[in-house]
Amino acid sequence: MSSVIRKQVIPGEVIVRGDYRIGSFVEKRGEDYVALRVGLAEIVRNDVKVIPLTGPYIPRTDDQVVGKVVDVTGFGWEVDINSCFKGYLPAVFVFGRDFSPATHDLSSKFRVGDLILARIDSYDRSRDPQLSVRGPGLGKIPRGEIVRISPTKVPRLIGRKGYMIKMISNQTDSDLKVGQNGLVVVAGPPEGVLRAANAIKMIEEEAHMADLAQKVQAFLTGG
Amino acid sequence: MSASKKSYVVETLRKAQMIELLSKGKRIDGRQLDETRKLDVRTGVIEKANGSAIVTLGNTQVIAGVKVQPGTPFPDTPDKGVLMVGAEVLPLAAAYVEAGPPDEGAIELARVVDRGVRESEMIDLASLCIKEGKHVYAVFVDVNVLNVDGNLFDATSYAVVSALLTAKMPKYVLEGDAVKNSGEVLPVPVAKIPVSVTIARVGNTLIADPTSEEEAVMDSRITLTTDDESNICAGQKGEPGTFPPEQILQAAEVAIRRGKEIRQAIKAATGHG
Amino acid sequence: MKEKKKLIDENGLRLDGRKWDQLRPIKIEVGTLHNADGSAYIEFGKNKIAAAVYGPKEMHPKHALLPDRAVLKCRYHMAPFSVDERKNPAPSRREIEISKVIREALQPSLILEDYPRTAIQIYVEVLQSDGGSRVAGITAASLALADAGINMRDMVVGCAVGKIEGKIVLDLDDAEDKEGSGDMPFAFMPNLNLVTLLQLDGLFTPDEFRQALELAQQGARRVYEMQREALIKQYFSGGAGETTVVEEGE
Repeated sequence: MSSVIRKQVIPGEVIVRGDYRIGSFVEKRGEDYVALRVGLAEIVRNDVKVIPLTGPYIPRTDDQVVGKVVDVTGFGWEVDINSCFKGYLPAVFVFGRDFSPATHDLSSKFRVGDLILARIDSYDRSRDPQLSVRGPGLGKIPRGEIVRISPTKVPRLIGRKGYMIKMISNQTDSDLKVGQNGLVVVAGPPEGVLRAANAIKMIEEEAHMADLAQKVQAFLTGG
Repeated sequence: MSASKKSYVVETLRKAQMIELLSKGKRIDGRQLDETRKLDVRTGVIEKANGSAIVTLGNTQVIAGVKVQPGTPFPDTPDKGVLMVGAEVLPLAAAYVEAGPPDEGAIELARVVDRGVRESEMIDLASLCIKEGKHVYAVFVDVNVLNVDGNLFDATSYAVVSALLTAKMPKYVLEGDAVKNSGEVLPVPVAKIPVSVTIARVGNTLIADPTSEEEAVMDSRITLTTDDESNICAGQKGEPGTFPPEQILQAAEVAIRRGKEIRQAIKAATGHG
Repeated sequence: MKEKKKLIDENGLRLDGRKWDQLRPIKIEVGTLHNADGSAYIEFGKNKIAAAVYGPKEMHPKHALLPDRAVLKCRYHMAPFSVDERKNPAPSRREIEISKVIREALQPSLILEDYPRTAIQIYVEVLQSDGGSRVAGITAASLALADAGINMRDMVVGCAVGKIEGKIVLDLDDAEDKEGSGDMPFAFMPNLNLVTLLQLDGLFTPDEFRQALELAQQGARRVYEMQREALIKQYFSGGAGETTVVEEGE
């Protein structure tokens, strides 16, 4: 069994020297592996990466995101996905290939202000991300409370194999829709929603702690 | 001087080629790395100005004009004359320039040149006081860039210095509480000759007096102004690149050495010394 | 620049009691403004400066966006009450120049290519000004950028060096800047050892220039320690030690 070395780093700091495989937010300079973000550097066997503790949401294909419809155009919807890039949901993805702006009414599906759970269908550096709502659970979100968390801490909120998010959901009797973009929609009984929101805030603040899961559990069962 | 999209895009091919050439110690126009372009200074070109100069540095051309008039001193220096350097890149100077108030590039240009003249104490501002706190000589030097081919900092600096070296100003005298032109003419009191030298870093190579073509691929530049005794009296690193500390010392050495030559050339052209 | 007051006494101490190579008291905090994507606050002597970063965000105007990287914008601004005589709130030529050199001092640290077609806006607001406000502003702005989580090659840290009574000294305050015979604002990336800002006015012999450059690096490295501490405090307060080793499967 090999060990994990975790190190608090800030941008520009050398994490380790030698011969490693480069993971996220690490740059190689000669023999040095340098952090590009403030966060926890993690060295496991031959791999070195930085788990950032702050940062913007940069879309990746197949990410699940929570977005807000901000404009309805002739051929699709513009969606704010909490990123520097605006999401676009083409009408053909919703109405199918026989979509025609003359016969289909886009507002019958999503209106300005609607929240949707979507998947990043495609994204590259030169084009804004294209969204899709085809897939289980995707589409308009009918109800719930929006809670914001730093996008860099979403993996902690989900936890290993979804452990953390399932725990919150079970303990608060709520349904949580988590966007990789840092927006979470919580639906359930008012008291449960409030406790789930507080649990999320706790994860936001203490994402760097090793015993986070136990702390959250203690909070949920104790409170 | 805001760069349009066209001027911002540099062919990667050309940059790679230039870096390779420079790493071999060669420049596209055949100059040595630390060699400056041919400098031509003509003074007294504008009769209505108190002093003027057209400076041609390679294909870069600028004109400076001096205007001296009675003025009021700044509150923090009541016993000193006023010196102001302004610069504008005229729309006729390059395809990318648009008319309008000076942008950050032109403001930086004027302020760096101003710093060189001021900090070298080229002009004896104390002798430009007529009545303390009330009346002083105000010396305005305005530079218009006529043609852009790189290194506006040095061309502007040489034009300002040459125009001041040859400027004649009316002698103002006090008459009661007012100031009056006595009809006599005096030279602007000049004590030193500051010379700026700009060095660009392209890849890891330093080059003096960059052309527009070289500026398009440079990472950063540093302008260092020296006086007659090789003191460094003004400095400015510019552009979003970096310098290793040892290259800054190298740049200072070049600025001092080339500065001496250029000072001689300016002296010869302006009839000083 | 005439030296009127005695700026260094017979014991080698400066007006505020500092030695030649001593910094003024410094206080740094990260994450001070809630709305900004990144923020920091610095007190450096009497300087009190707030820095904030918004972005990466949509670039406006659209025609000015860059297809392969983010556009970096910077505004350095002094509050009207930050100086002895009220300052006109409109940006002065000095502020425009300083905005430009601060932007150019921070840009080499940022991997702007990771955020094509966007804009990153930096604000440096001087609430109270003392000598060296631009370099203190750079130290704070670099923290705000790290706090915003922009990919960075290194931090940028600033420190000025000056000349008073014919001696090269670290970190001029207002009085020394006004009465002294030279000032050299300086900023660099401490891990890469690359200078990102250098300005100079006054009279420095070549030898003094070399000394000044050396002293500026030493001073900036000391400020860097405090810069780092502030960032670690914001993100890891109450956490485990700086390095931990855990068995896998935890």
